[in-house]
Amino acid sequence: MPLMSSFPSAMSLTRRHALIGGAGVAAGLLLPSLARAQTRLQVTEGNVAPLPIAIPNFVPGTPSDGEVSNGVAQVITNNLKRSGLFAPIDQAAFIEKITNIDSAPQFANWKSINAQALVTGRMTRQGDGRLKAEFRLWDVASGQQLTGQQYFTSPEYWRRIAHIISDQIYERLTGEKGYFDSRVVFVDESGKAQHRVKRLALMDQDGANVRYLTRGSDLVLTPRFSPSTQEITYMEFGQGDPRVYLFNIETGQREIVGNFPGMSFSPRFSPDGQRIIMSLQQGGNSNLFVMDLRSKSTTRLTDTPAIDTSPSYSPDGGQICFESDRGGKPQIYIMPAGGGQANRISFGEGSYSTPVWSPRGDYIAFTKMGGGQFAIGIMKPDGSGERILTSGYHNEGPTFAPNGRVLMFFRDTGPGPSLFSIDISGRNELKVPTPGFASDPAWSPLLS
Amino acid sequence: MKVDKTLVASVALHVLVIGWGLVSFSARSLEAPPPESMPVDIISADQLSKITAGSKTGEKEKPKPLVEKVAEAKPVDDTAGKVTEKPEVKTEAAPEPPPKPVEKPVEKKPDPPKPVAKHEPKDEPKPIEKKPDPPKVDPIAEALKKDEAKKPKPKPQAKAAPPKPPEPKRERTFDSSKIAALLDKRDPTRHAATGEQLNSTASLGAAHGTAATLSQSELDALRARLTKLWNVQAGSEHPEELIVDIRIRLTPDKRLAAPPEVVSRGSSPRYRAAADAAMRAVLQAQPYDMLRPGTYEQWKDMIVTFDPRQMFNG
Repeated sequence: MPLMSSFPSAMSLTRRHALIGGAGVAAGLLLPSLARAQTRLQVTEGNVAPLPIAIPNFVPGTPSDGEVSNGVAQVITNNLKRSGLFAPIDQAAFIEKITNIDSAPQFANWKSINAQALVTGRMTRQGDGRLKAEFRLWDVASGQQLTGQQYFTSPEYWRRIAHIISDQIYERLTGEKGYFDSRVVFVDESGKAQHRVKRLALMDQDGANVRYLTRGSDLVLTPRFSPSTQEITYMEFGQGDPRVYLFNIETGQREIVGNFPGMSFSPRFSPDGQRIIMSLQQGGNSNLFVMDLRSKSTTRLTDTPAIDTSPSYSPDGGQICFESDRGGKPQIYIMPAGGGQANRISFGEGSYSTPVWSPRGDYIAFTKMGGGQFAIGIMKPDGSGERILTSGYHNEGPTFAPNGRVLMFFRDTGPGPSLFSIDISGRNELKVPTPGFASDPAWSPLLS
Repeated sequence: MKVDKTLVASVALHVLVIGWGLVSFSARSLEAPPPESMPVDIISADQLSKITAGSKTGEKEKPKPLVEKVAEAKPVDDTAGKVTEKPEVKTEAAPEPPPKPVEKPVEKKPDPPKPVAKHEPKDEPKPIEKKPDPPKVDPIAEALKKDEAKKPKPKPQAKAAPPKPPEPKRERTFDSSKIAALLDKRDPTRHAATGEQLNSTASLGAAHGTAATLSQSELDALRARLTKLWNVQAGSEHPEELIVDIRIRLTPDKRLAAPPEVVSRGSSPRYRAAADAAMRAVLQAQPYDMLRPGTYEQWKDMIVTFDPRQMFNG
């Protein structure tokens, strides 16, 4: 019908009378929706709310698999909940009990408890002793399976399977890489303030499976993961000067990196894992050097009468951000990875330290001091877009999750330091569970 | 001075007229752009007149003449939307249909059949008298062929009842509908659904040339519903890459006639997640109660753009 009404007006135009044509055009303007064009609607506001997701206990493949089946669901629930992007629904609210993951669930039962996504899975001990894990992720509204996988592993690694499944769910529903299948190395602190025992410790990203890597006889600081996740470099105060060490997680072997006069400190791996960049003391100053782990050759990157420290590579290995007080107060600078012209990027009030480049490349996180406050913030590599995520009496040492969306750092409110995580949007600050006081966290890349 | 008086009068009049014109025109221009309004259902005089104008013919919201349109098209549309909902109902209804059609044709062939049909929603076979119905009967019959009992019933009715019209119709429908039925045959259910839809559509279509326009309040109410249901991921970077257009086709009973379709393009995992989120909002928004039947032509096929830029750039 709309076609009919607009057609005659076009006819009249071709004939002659501009007036009539004008009338037709006017009518068209007055009734635009009569045009055959589809109605269009813009929706520009939505809810920034965690996605309601139902994660029932996995189905045990054999009667003896009940414990691990429940455990996997709990680990996944905890991971997704802590990410701040999901709102796992209390299992007590579930109407349907999943007993078979090979048939589609009754989606009406999950709609009625407002679940938008549903995870079903099964854990089965195989005849050869391995554990088989299967899961499916469902979109409740459309009834579509969004993803599904199965894995085989040794039974003792069931938590890793749960983390890997968590990553799959996270990636499918957010479109971002996950970060749950990762570890954190940190400095475990115990004892009184005057006689703190500091041990290197390793744990899963969620605080489980804590392992101590050193015995605590020597002071350790600033541990950092290698890209392979198999090695850690850190600084240790032994009998003499502080030294940079390399520690192999699997073998427990450790070695001194280089043999330099004076202190060496604040080490970090290059993105390819072949080099370690660090600060070397030179009198009252320090400069940046990079050492090739195979050839053991060392290259000087800066040569200034100032303290240059805390270097960190960009993910492509082409640039370095670092902290330097060459301008008076500590600020963040960027320069080519091979050395050269350094450009200051931090210009806010106060001083900036411990810069670290996001694995995604889009941000540099830092500790900012000023006005008696220590803040954790991020800025773009060109210095723009500075955003303070949290501030207070003492916050320090940010480290990025493998997907660059979450930061971990440590905070000391008086008695001792603890680990916290926060989204780079500044939301969802959470304490990370550790056995005791903890500081200097460093997040590993994804393990798989 | 006489001249002065007239001059004064004319000047005063002119000032009044021009002043009034200024005021009234400026007032209009100010009112013109109403931004985002609340989802209130206010019917403008314009709409009212259209509605009333339509009502002359439109009074019969449930007349069956319109069924003609739907008869062939509906099976396709409905297949997508209403597969699961009413399967059992039909099975129950199926046995019943034979008696009803017989009664009606005999008694009320002329006018009354339509209202009767409405009263009993599940008895679609009744409409058999008219052209649209026969097609329906056929698919059902075919679908139920396995159940031999049902087939014989419909045929006897047609023969016994009366007239020639039903038989020729059967043949036509048999051919075309057989294909559809073979493809869709699981859903005798859809038939029932189609029957309802047909009626409502008919009323709309029957209305007249001046279709009602989709009111701003309807659009705002629709937008409000989708806004409430659209779950946007917190802290999204580069929201400009996550703009999703979704095409929505609706049935007259305000439900999706087909699965919504993403018509914008993107291949990144983030885009896919954004498209899924928009899709969830569209699916959950059913039924679209805020839309008026009178404007069906405008909302039966829409494109909704989900644009998160404002949420993160502002």
